[in-house]
Amino acid sequence: MVGFILKRLVQSVFVMLAVAFLAFSLFRFVGDPISQMTGVETSLEDQARLREDLGLNDPYFVQFARFTGDMLRGDFGYSFRTREPIGEMLLSRLPATLELGVVALLVSLVVGIPAGVYTALRPRGILSQTILVGTLIGVSIPTFVIGILLIFLFGVQLGWLPTFGRGGTVEIGWWRSSLFTAEGWRSLVLPALTLGLFQLTLTMRLVRAQMMEVMRTDHIRFAIARGVPWRSIRYRHALSNTMIPVITIIGLQFGGVIAFSIVTESVFQWPGMGLLFLESIRFVDIPVMSVYLVVIAFFFVLINLLVDLLYVAIDPRLRVRESV
Amino acid sequence: MFNRKIPAAAMALSTTVLLALPAAAETFRWAGTTDPQTMDPHAVNATPVLSFLNNVYEGLVRRGPDMSVQPSLATSWEALPDGAGWRFNLREGVTFHDGSAFDADDVLFSYERGVSEPSDVRSWFASVTDVVRVNDYAVDFLTSAPNPLFPGSIANFMIMDEGWATENGAALPAREAETHATRNANGTGPFMLDARDPGIETRLVPHEAWWDTAEHNLTEAVFTPIGNPATGLAALLSGEIDFISPIPLQDVEQVEQRDGFKVLAGLETRVIMLGFGHDHEALKYSEETTDENPFLDPRVRLAVAKAIDVETIDRVIMRGAAEPASQLLPEGLSGYSEEHSERPEFDPEAARALLEEAGYSDGFSFGLMCPNDRYINDEAVCRAVASMLARIGIDANVNAMPVRGYWDELRAGNFDMYLLGWSPGTFDAEHPVRFLAHTPTERLGTWNFGGYSNERIDALLAPIQSEVDPVARQVMLDEVAGILQEEVAYVPLYTQPLIWAMKENVDVVQRPDNFFMLRWVTVN
Repeated sequence: MVGFILKRLVQSVFVMLAVAFLAFSLFRFVGDPISQMTGVETSLEDQARLREDLGLNDPYFVQFARFTGDMLRGDFGYSFRTREPIGEMLLSRLPATLELGVVALLVSLVVGIPAGVYTALRPRGILSQTILVGTLIGVSIPTFVIGILLIFLFGVQLGWLPTFGRGGTVEIGWWRSSLFTAEGWRSLVLPALTLGLFQLTLTMRLVRAQMMEVMRTDHIRFAIARGVPWRSIRYRHALSNTMIPVITIIGLQFGGVIAFSIVTESVFQWPGMGLLFLESIRFVDIPVMSVYLVVIAFFFVLINLLVDLLYVAIDPRLRVRESV
Repeated sequence: MFNRKIPAAAMALSTTVLLALPAAAETFRWAGTTDPQTMDPHAVNATPVLSFLNNVYEGLVRRGPDMSVQPSLATSWEALPDGAGWRFNLREGVTFHDGSAFDADDVLFSYERGVSEPSDVRSWFASVTDVVRVNDYAVDFLTSAPNPLFPGSIANFMIMDEGWATENGAALPAREAETHATRNANGTGPFMLDARDPGIETRLVPHEAWWDTAEHNLTEAVFTPIGNPATGLAALLSGEIDFISPIPLQDVEQVEQRDGFKVLAGLETRVIMLGFGHDHEALKYSEETTDENPFLDPRVRLAVAKAIDVETIDRVIMRGAAEPASQLLPEGLSGYSEEHSERPEFDPEAARALLEEAGYSDGFSFGLMCPNDRYINDEAVCRAVASMLARIGIDANVNAMPVRGYWDELRAGNFDMYLLGWSPGTFDAEHPVRFLAHTPTERLGTWNFGGYSNERIDALLAPIQSEVDPVARQVMLDEVAGILQEEVAYVPLYTQPLIWAMKENVDVVQRPDNFFMLRWVTVN
């Protein structure tokens, strides 16, 4: 088990290196950081000196080697735009993204699983059809548009919820949380809905398909034949068998939720890592963009690992095989 | 309400406490698209930074609502004999936000800091040879040649406290790693930096000991950057912010129609123009004309100017908010040439005739470079220009790109024609001559991407910079404006509008340089 985890962690280093390499080679086409860092009146010689100072004249491989070397030593470097240390910058933005991602995931689970079970058990019911069509609409409208629609409905027209930012936050050590104030929760509702909607649809449809399939399997048929109560059949036997693939997919999706919260964060001016990444692109802040992508790659690897471990925990057959 | 540090155990309790806090009535919340990158007044010479910091730091002089030069930390100034420079008499009894006193040493220190290698504001002092302390409250700026406009040109040169900067290790502006002055500030201005959360929120509170009488009625001012225009508009309409700048032109109507909101649409000092590759021997992006550059012929450039219907661009794309321009700077700024205020008349027939005369009656195709996120509706303007030029038989292939890569392309000469907007930092006609019309060198003509070169203009720049007599100076500026028009070095299109939106009860002053000064804000 320990060996398995170690092997995965070593692999993750290579994944991150590959991501850093690709990112680095792409960023050369994003634009010129110097013209973003200096004013219009700055002379060309001053610009050239700055370019030299920042090592932008060095060959690509030298720059890449320096970047990876610094990263390995735990030195994430400084932002071109704000000159802040990047490690600190990302760390201060991490709680916002994680809280948004987790709440969005919870929304999708709390709504998605019951809705999936319901639509599986009553496939022809009017409510089921309504839910299915409704989520189809939800999934086909781009996140950006959904966010703006929600903002204009609940923020501007009805005035119930804030339209941007995190509202009241509380600091617990370095972690800045919006989960402990009512204002913070009010700010969280719309972005979490926007971000969780796609995930919700996916979860619901997956649960529905799995559930319908499990309900047709032999052991459920036998259980019905034996007169096991419907309640027990549905929620104890059928649902628990449904959950194994669902957990895998949801876990993998969570990485996506974190990584692709960029759009939601931009629409709601949600001060997370995604918003920071967007700002960095606008200013050609190459160091921040590079570190961000490496960190996101790390998240993906980590989540994959957790999913694998969870899988073993849930499915007894895997444990048995391993002990044999 | 924000960022309260409390132990975890008290959290449940604090939730109710936080809810019970009433919002202060005079807290003013405003938003812009870009967060000031730094709180250091000498580190980045860009409008978002300078505009924001002018609320916190002050210069020797400052600009009034009409851009006039007014006393600030200097109460008066006079030219030294024989054009040797300028003497500034400093205001006594001024204190920085931390309570330390302001005197000549702070000016000297700020000058040294401003001309240091990591500084981005060195160009303001290109003509300064030395700064001499006369006494505690007088400083001489010595210049290599008479420099009549010097006081106005350093209106954004902000004074930092020597003691504070050196004690905190911020004697020089940040180059790679931040310094104390990147996220902290200690100026003499009307507002003090209370809390800084880069990219999220910046809080200012009034400086009670400010030397001038406060015209504003704010007790707190909170700035939030909102990059997405739709989000910014929603934040204003939902009442969460009091003011936003800018808003997209297409949203003006929506804001104006709502009760309780208003739009302030004036003109920015920025002229949008077309430039040519004057030093390009051949077109780069033509399908058929690959061995010559028709734009080298002034008749072709004039044909371009005559083919573009600026009135229509203004009416359709800029919703009537822009103003046609005849020169490289807007009407009304100092040094503007009244003599040359006519722009070439829109006349496609004459344009076609000019093309024929130049030997291009069959037309040609070329590449028009254009930013798509720098100026108001910039890409749409380029497309309109392209369709107007198509009517006289020349085909522009529009290549629109984000501004982050745009200047690089222009510097590399990758264009046949390009769109450029220029706002003269000194609000004087000398500025565009120095940056756009002078032959490119390391320090001059640095934004003259097309390599336009005229010996007479090059020769006139230095005398314009040092001429003390305003009449003689204007004669030279008129001559330059005349040459630029006659040769059609650029095709000035229009002066760009400036669109601010706010709640009805907010009164602000819109300065044409797009600086937002809190000291003129009142909330009724």
